[in-house]
Amino acid sequence: MTLAENLFENLRLELRRGCLTLAVLAQLKEEHYGYTLRKALASRGMEIDENTLYPLLRRLEAQGLLTSEWREEDKRNKRFYRLSTDGQEIFARLLKEWNDINTAITNLL
Amino acid sequence: MEMLDRYLQAVRRHLPWLRQDDIIAELRANLEAQLEDKEAELGRKLTNAEMEVWLKQLGSPIQVAARYQPQQYLIGPALFPIYRFVLRLALGWCAVIFCIAKTVEIVSKGQGIDALAGVIFQLPWILFINAAVVTLIFAILQRSGAQIPEKFAQGAAMGNDWPHAPAAARDVWADGQKKPKSYAQAVAEVIFGWILLVWMLLVPHYPYLLMGPGVIILKVAPYQLAPVWWTFYWCIVVIAAVELAWRIIDLLQERWQEPHTAQHLVKSLLGLIPLLVVLAAPGRVLTVLKNPADNAHAAALAQINHWLYRGFEIVAAIVVLQLLWTVGQISVEAYRKRLAAAR
Repeated sequence: MTLAENLFENLRLELRRGCLTLAVLAQLKEEHYGYTLRKALASRGMEIDENTLYPLLRRLEAQGLLTSEWREEDKRNKRFYRLSTDGQEIFARLLKEWNDINTAITNLL
Repeated sequence: MEMLDRYLQAVRRHLPWLRQDDIIAELRANLEAQLEDKEAELGRKLTNAEMEVWLKQLGSPIQVAARYQPQQYLIGPALFPIYRFVLRLALGWCAVIFCIAKTVEIVSKGQGIDALAGVIFQLPWILFINAAVVTLIFAILQRSGAQIPEKFAQGAAMGNDWPHAPAAARDVWADGQKKPKSYAQAVAEVIFGWILLVWMLLVPHYPYLLMGPGVIILKVAPYQLAPVWWTFYWCIVVIAAVELAWRIIDLLQERWQEPHTAQHLVKSLLGLIPLLVVLAAPGRVLTVLKNPADNAHAAALAQINHWLYRGFEIVAAIVVLQLLWTVGQISVEAYRKRLAAAR
């Protein structure tokens, strides 16, 4: 990887990092477990590596933005996540921030 | 499935032990669902080779487990700018002090080029140890901060986020009062207080750290310091240690920006103790003859003791006046606050 590519990759990852959290919070207005969440995000154009998504879910839960419960589905125990009340509030504020940034960038271009 | 089991076992070994069962159960459910989808797509079970390729794509067990660890820094982004600032200062001063001390040693002992080469080889190690000590202190600060993140975030922000300081704080500065101490200043004070204490403890063993080339005069002069200076020295060391302990406690309890009127007063009072010790020297004798039978220097010794003692009287008078001034300021401020509260 050349220096320029490396730089681009770092900047791209930095740009994506915050967006991933927003995407996960947006998708978890409906309940999902890890794998179906990943599929749902991918089907809407937001591919997330499993090694990023699954730990991210735990961090967001530890921060109080998600709630989770273990439940059996298709004869298998799965951990289902959804937005918590605090998560809904934070998500709404983040979404506004996202829209403001989007508008500002569009104006700049 | 056996290969997946082994993979999950390998991941488990690197997970935080309190949460490993829970994480593995969740990871297993997700990976098994993913595997089922793959097999449904293919219409058959995955071969061992395909399974191996898939597991490799997931990442090595250590990497997968590492994602579940809390983000760990030796020194995090909030503290790093302060660390860099203190490290530069510490390394710069260490190099300067070391070079001066060694130069004095080489000159006074009449050592040659070999000693100079030794200094050049020693310097990187001294700097390395110095950097390691500073890094260790900051790593401890980072670690204690990580355990109380909400307090640490406030503390770190105070050092870096000055343009966004609360309006109330800006008003205080605008009133002409002393600007509150920043987090970086408070940390630097602790580190330099520590360096000062170590330096003071080294002085009796390496007098050139205090007197530089003047140490030669002490060696050749017929006079030596009276025993009262040891009491004076230990008073100073204890005061420096108390002050350092205060600063560390203030830092840990996030009180470095609070006014410490009582502390300031106690420090001024403590500062008087070593002066009083010297002034109470028996017979006002501050220096003595190395050879008590040396009558040739007795007259000069009396003069030295007289003027030294007079000098200490003047210093003590200045310190007492400063103390009275401080007490006066505190009293006026307390009176002003009482009036303001009454209105």
